[in-house]
Amino acid sequence: MNYDFSEKEFSFFIELHQLLAKYAEGKKLDDCDLAGSENNLRQATAMLAGTPYLKLAIEPVDGFNGLLTLTGAWEVLASISPSLYISVETSARIFGRIISAWGDDVQKKKWLPEILSGKVIGAVGLSEESLNIDNAPLATLGVLNGDKVEISGRKQYVVNGPMADWFAVVGNMGDKPAIFMVEKGNPGLIIGARSATIGYGGAAISPLELKNCVIPAANVLFPADAKSMTATLRLWENQILMGASLGLMKTAFESARTYAKTHKTGGKPIIAFQEIGFKLSEMLTLFQTSQLFAYRTAWTSEKDPKEAESLTLCAKVFCTESAEQVACEAMKILGGAGYLSGNAVEQAFRCAKYGQIAGTSTEIARVKIGDTALGLRN
Amino acid sequence: MDFAFTKEQLMFKKEIIRFAKKEIVPRVQEHDLHKQFDFESFRKLGEFGILGLHFPEELGGGGADVITTVMAGEALGEAGVDGGLTLAYGAHTFLCSDTIYSHGTPEQRKKYIPKLASGEWIGCMGLTEPNAGSDVASMTTTAEKKGDKYVLNGSKIFITNGPIADVAVVYAKTQPEKKHAGISAFIVEKDTPGYKSGANLIKMGVSTSQTSELFFNNCEIPASHLLGKEGDGFNMSLQTVEWDRSALLAPFVGAATFMLTRCVEYAKTREQFGRTIGQFQAVKRKIANIRIFGEAARNLVYRIAWCKDQKKPLNHLEAAVAKLFVGDWSLGPSNDAVVLHGGYGYCHEYDMERIFRDSRLAPIGGGTSDIQKMIISKLI
Ligand SMILES: Cc1cc2nc3c(=O)[nH]c(=O)nc-3n(C[C@H](O)[C@H](O)[C@H](O)COP(=O)(O)OP(=O)(O)OC[C@H]3O[C@@H](n4cnc5c(N)ncnc54)[C@H](O)[C@@H]3O)c2cc1C
Ligand SMILES: Cc1cc2nc3c(=O)[nH]c(=O)nc-3n(C[C@H](O)[C@H](O)[C@H](O)COP(=O)(O)OP(=O)(O)OC[C@H]3O[C@@H](n4cnc5c(N)ncnc54)[C@H](O)[C@@H]3O)c2cc1C
Repeated sequence: MNYDFSEKEFSFFIELHQLLAKYAEGKKLDDCDLAGSENNLRQATAMLAGTPYLKLAIEPVDGFNGLLTLTGAWEVLASISPSLYISVETSARIFGRIISAWGDDVQKKKWLPEILSGKVIGAVGLSEESLNIDNAPLATLGVLNGDKVEISGRKQYVVNGPMADWFAVVGNMGDKPAIFMVEKGNPGLIIGARSATIGYGGAAISPLELKNCVIPAANVLFPADAKSMTATLRLWENQILMGASLGLMKTAFESARTYAKTHKTGGKPIIAFQEIGFKLSEMLTLFQTSQLFAYRTAWTSEKDPKEAESLTLCAKVFCTESAEQVACEAMKILGGAGYLSGNAVEQAFRCAKYGQIAGTSTEIARVKIGDTALGLRN
Repeated sequence: MDFAFTKEQLMFKKEIIRFAKKEIVPRVQEHDLHKQFDFESFRKLGEFGILGLHFPEELGGGGADVITTVMAGEALGEAGVDGGLTLAYGAHTFLCSDTIYSHGTPEQRKKYIPKLASGEWIGCMGLTEPNAGSDVASMTTTAEKKGDKYVLNGSKIFITNGPIADVAVVYAKTQPEKKHAGISAFIVEKDTPGYKSGANLIKMGVSTSQTSELFFNNCEIPASHLLGKEGDGFNMSLQTVEWDRSALLAPFVGAATFMLTRCVEYAKTREQFGRTIGQFQAVKRKIANIRIFGEAARNLVYRIAWCKDQKKPLNHLEAAVAKLFVGDWSLGPSNDAVVLHGGYGYCHEYDMERIFRDSRLAPIGGGTSDIQKMIISKLI
C-alpha cells in the first residue's frame, strides 16, 4: 500500500501547473468565440505535447503510472481551465484511446502520432437521441460499397465538433459495431452550429449529421462487440468527468478559502465565523474524499478492469455530485462577488452540473451500481 | 500510489469474518436487546488475538502492522458484530492499552499489556467530564502529588467500559492553573480506594458497550502509576487520535459492507407489486448510496493507517476529514438501509435499526463533527 504519489509524479504536477498557469495568464480560456476556442485548444495541445501529459494512459511513460498519474494531472489542467480540459481530453484521451484500443497498425500509425503531438484535434460522436442507457442500439449506420463506406446518422453534443480535424463516429456496420473516422470537410459531414451551454464556455460543442457521407473502408475501426464498445467509451468519459470534478473542486475550494481569509466583515476575516470556516471544512472533506476515491478507481482500472467498472460509477457519482456541492458552497462564501459573472467559482458552479448529466448520468449510474450489487449485471 | 492489501492481510480478514460470524454474531441481537455486555465474545476476541493485535509478541500481542490492525476492525463490522462490542474493543485496546504501551515504562507495560491483550483484564480511558467534553482543557479532575502518591479528585463521564474495567487510563490536572499543559495521565486499578464507577448509562446505540461515570474521591494511587511525565497527558490523548481515526472508524466502514450485503439479500427476496423490490430503481438507488459511502470512507480510514505504518507524523487535517466524513456522511446510507427493509427495517430482528443507532455515535464520540470542522478550518 502507498497513499502518496512518487516524487517524480509530484514534480510533474508542479511543472505542469507552472506551464499551464503561465499559458493561461491574461487569457479568457473559458469564455471565447469559436476562433478563440480553436486557437487556445491548438496552442495548448501543442504545448502539452512537449510534456508526458498527452501520452498518459495511451502509451507507457517511464516512471509514471498510466491512468493513476493521469488522474493527478487531470486535476491540474481542469483547475486551470475546465473548457480547455474537456476539449483536450476529448481529443487526446477519448479519440486517442479509440485509436490505440481498436485501431489496426496502419490506423494507429496514421492518427496516433498526430493526436499525441497535438497536430490534429479529434472529436467523438457517440450520443444519439435514442442512446441513453447503453444497451440501446445505435442508429448510425455504415454500408460497405466496394472499398468505400457510406454513413448516415445524427450525433448530438459533440465536444470539439466545430473545430476538430477528425471525427470518430460510433455506429454499426452490418451487425458489427464500427467506428467511422471522418475527416473535416468530407462531403456529407454536416457540422451543426455551436451550441450555447451554461458551462464550459470555452469548449465548442455541436451536433453532427452524416448524410450519404462516404469514407474509405480503411478508415473504419472494428471494436470487439457493441456492448463492450459503448461501455468502454462511457467508462473513459466517466473517468474524464471525474478528473474535471477534481479540478473544479480545487478551483472552487481554493478561491473560497483565499476569499474567506482576506475578506473581512465586522473587522474579522470571514473564515473566523463558523458558518464559513465549517463550510470550508465540509468542502475540503468532499474534495479529499473525491481525490482518494478517484485515485483508487484509477489504480483499480489498471489492476482489475472488471472490478473497476462498477467502482468507477461509484466514484463518478461521488466526485461529480461533490463538485457541484463544493462549487455551490464556494459561491455562497464569496457572497455577492461569487454571483458576478466571470469569476472562477461561478464558472466552476456552472461547469459542475455537466458532470452529472454527461457520461453515465448519475441516475443511470446508481441504477447500474444497484444492478451490479444485486447480480443483475456482472 | 498503490492500494493493494497483501495476500496475508486479505486472508486474515477472511479468517476474522469467519470467526466473528460463528463465535460472536449469533449472540449480538440478544445482548443488544438487553443492553448487556457480552463477556464471552470479548474473551473470544482476546483468544483470537484481536485485542492485542498490534502489540509485540513478547507482551502477548500479535506484532501486526497498523493496516492489518485496522482491517480487523473493518472485518468485525463486515461480519455483523455490533457497534457496542467494537467500541468496547476500541476503547480497551487503543484508548487504554495502547496509551500504556506507548507511554508506559517497561514495568508498566509488562504488568498490564499481557493481561489486556488476552482480555483477562478490561481497560477503559477517562478523559471526558460532565463539564468538559469538547473543551478538554477545561477539565477539573485533579491529581495532587503527596509524597510517593498522587491523590485524584473529580469525575469523568461517558466512559466506555467504565462499569466493567479492571484498569483505567485517567487524565487529570497536575497543574490546575494551566490548560492543556497541566494535564497528566495515570493508571488507576479497579479496587483502588476512593475510585468507583457509576451505573451503566442507557444509550440510543452501541448498547452492548457499558458506559458510565467514574468518580475519584481522595483516590490515592502510587506515584509510579503516572504515565510518562507530568504535563504530557494532553499530547498522549492526541496520540490516541491516530487510532481513533483509523481503527475505531474501521468498524463503521465494515458495517457499510454488512448493510450492503443485507440490503441486497432482502431486495432480492422481498416481493411487492408482483416483483422483487430490487427491480425498483428507488431501491437500487439506496443500495448504490450505501456502496458509494462505504467505498469512499474506506480510503480515508486506510490512509491514516498507512501513514501510521510509515511512521509519518499524524496529519491532523486528514484525520479530521476521515472522522468528519464517516460521522456525518454515514447518516444517509444507514437510514437508506432501514427504509429499504420497510417495517422490518424498524424492527430489531433485521439488524438495520441497530446499525442506524450505532452509527449515530460516529459524529459524537472521540470529538464531535463540529470539533473536526474546527480543526480543519484552523489548519487550512
Ligand atoms: C456539454 C455536453 C457535452 C457532451 N459531449 C459529448 C461528446 O463529446 N460526445 C458524445 O457522444 N456525447 C456527448 N454528450 C452527451 C452526453 O453524454 C449525454 O447528454 C448524456 O449521455 C445524457 O443523455 P441525454 O442528454 O439524451 O439525456 P437522457 O438520457 O434523455 O436523460 C434525461 C434524464 O432521464 C434520466 N434517465 C434516462 N434513462 C433513465 C433510466 N433508464 N433510468 C433512470 N433514469 C433515466 C437521466 O439520468 C436524465 O436525468 C455531451 C453532453 C453535454 C451536455
Ligand atoms: C457512547 C459514548 C462513549 C464514549 N466513550 C468515551 C470514553 O471512553 N472516554 C472518554 O473520555 N469519553 C468518551 N465519550 C465522550 C465523548 O468523547 C464526548 O461526548 C464528546 O467529545 C463530546 O463531548 P460532550 O458530550 O461533552 O459534548 P459538548 O462538548 O458539550 O458538545 C455539545 C454540542 O456542542 C457542540 N460544540 C461544542 N463546542 C463547540 C465549538 N467550539 N464550536 C461548535 N460547536 C461546538 C458539539 O459539537 C455538540 O454538538 C463517549 C461518548 C459517548 C456518547
